[in-house]
Amino acid sequence: MTARLRVDWPSCRARGLCHELLPELVDLDEWGYPVVGGEVTPDLLADARAAVRMCPRLALRLVAARPV
Amino acid sequence: MIDGPLLWYLNRGTGFVILGLFTVTTALGILATGGRAGRGVPRFVSQSLHRNLALVSVALLGAHVATAVADSYVDIRWWQALVPWAGSTYQPLWLGLGTLALDLVLVVALTSLVRTRLGHRSWRAVHLLAYAGWAAAMAHTLGIGTDVRADAAWADLTVAACAALVAAAVVLRLGRLALPAGSRA
Amino acid sequence: MTAPPVRASDAPDVQEGPALLAGLADGPGLAAHRRRYGELPRPGLDDLLGALARLRVRGRGGAGFPFETKLRTAAAGRRPVLVVNLSEGEPASAKDTALALTRPHLVLDGAVAVARELGARELHVVVPTERPRAAASMRAALDERPERLRAVVHTADARFVAGQARAVLELMAGRPNLPVTSWQPEAVAGHRGRPTLLSNAETWAQVGRLVLVGERRYAALGSPDEPGTTLLTLSGSRPRVREVPFGTPWCDVLPADWAGRPVLLGGFHGSWVPWDALAAGTVSVDSMRAAGTPLGAGVLICPDEPPAAFTARVVGYLAAQSAGRCGPCRHGLPALAAAVDAGADDRAAELAGLVTGRGACAHPDGTARLVRSLLALRAGVRAGVSS
Repeated sequence: MTARLRVDWPSCRARGLCHELLPELVDLDEWGYPVVGGEVTPDLLADARAAVRMCPRLALRLVAARPV
Repeated sequence: MIDGPLLWYLNRGTGFVILGLFTVTTALGILATGGRAGRGVPRFVSQSLHRNLALVSVALLGAHVATAVADSYVDIRWWQALVPWAGSTYQPLWLGLGTLALDLVLVVALTSLVRTRLGHRSWRAVHLLAYAGWAAAMAHTLGIGTDVRADAAWADLTVAACAALVAAAVVLRLGRLALPAGSRA
Repeated sequence: MTAPPVRASDAPDVQEGPALLAGLADGPGLAAHRRRYGELPRPGLDDLLGALARLRVRGRGGAGFPFETKLRTAAAGRRPVLVVNLSEGEPASAKDTALALTRPHLVLDGAVAVARELGARELHVVVPTERPRAAASMRAALDERPERLRAVVHTADARFVAGQARAVLELMAGRPNLPVTSWQPEAVAGHRGRPTLLSNAETWAQVGRLVLVGERRYAALGSPDEPGTTLLTLSGSRPRVREVPFGTPWCDVLPADWAGRPVLLGGFHGSWVPWDALAAGTVSVDSMRAAGTPLGAGVLICPDEPPAAFTARVVGYLAAQSAGRCGPCRHGLPALAAAVDAGADDRAAELAGLVTGRGACAHPDGTARLVRSLLALRAGVRAGVSS
């Protein structure tokens, strides 16, 4: 399944765990909020799931990628 | 039922160990959350530590409760270890507080295990009960703790240090909140 | 609170039009409406869907989403809910207010006709706080209706984002009238998890007119690719609401005293269009979108002050209007306002990119679009392209 990460912005408090766990796909902007990159490739799927699980605000979700 | 002081010493020993462990767990919970990602220990490390310490504490709490029930020196039935103030003859008030602490810790732990299913708001509302659980454990120690009542220096110091640690963590966290957003790490 | 650079009007100058705004002299009452249009037919859902698809009827709230797709999605679910969005959060727009004041029953006929086809029993109408005459007119029109349909009126906050779809759903649920993240389109799962057909007041009016006059008469105006008409708001000391058929050349629409000046097309979330580019084009959703300057909700502003100064004021207003729920918007828009104010184009471009797509709603995206269009306008001027 092709997947991507979506942030629930009203819940996000810029704690930054998603970036710590998945720096390949998640950068932090100048205010500490996640900048989510592209599609979650199969090799990154496990880390993406960990990032979703570890978010203290449960503000990260793995969703099906939008068909291009 | 086993005779001899082994279970009694195990019970008292685990009691102090878990008081310390829960105190550190609580302090970590207060300090390692909130605020932005920044310098120092990565957030996922401190949060994993908080979680793992909590799980170890709960496991040891199980041993503490089991030894109390199993020991024939004090008359504590198994249901009195689960339901607060359910009619035990040994130090009912302080024992009840200990049982209350156990119940609160269990609720907090179980809801945390199914956190992703609960949604953040409900999970957090329950998680705040950890403060109450820790306070109940402290009161239980002060009231029922044989060594505290005997005024053993190490016992008093341990309890005092635990109280100080959580108080300091709370003060630090409140202080962080009072700072303007830009200067927070 | 920062006052909007253009004040919301409760008494626009509504001009007689060829379709929606025909027969304004009749007044807004139901009896006169029925005399003009007759009773509300029941076209049948499949026929209606077919007509909507052939006529390419699109939403008039700004996004231009195909209404047929929305209706089909809502029809596929159980116990759908209909919402008429008359909140008109964009202060410079007055077309929905115009409809509420002069043609409320066109709007309601559209909603009622669709409600009948869907078997929906509940109709929600969202009216604005800051345009009390429009709200009162809508309520009066609802009182006149004979249908046994439960109508609930909600009053949106006087806030720019109050009319956003999810913010409206929050208002309907009794929560603060602010956007939340949408994990599914509201036509799939909206109000209380039910399929929710939420559309702009003008969209409902267009659908109502289609049902009342039929496909042929509807398509008699407009162009073959874009049949029908659309409402525009021309901003000024008193905003003018005009109805124009699609395909009308812009020079037939634009006021003479705007000649030679850049026009902000699409309201505060719109784009600056140089005069020559606009005057050469026609009123068309497709061609404006293709040119990178979408028509949006049909708002045109030609301010007295230069584009840069006006944009700075608008971005400052939009930053203050952020719901404050999403970090990138809460931090990024004030920073963007400061950059635009200071004329720091690189920083403004960087921030515009940083806030786009990173919020629960499109408020930061629209603001970024406005800023980017200012930068493009300036670049065009510097390159000597046009005024």
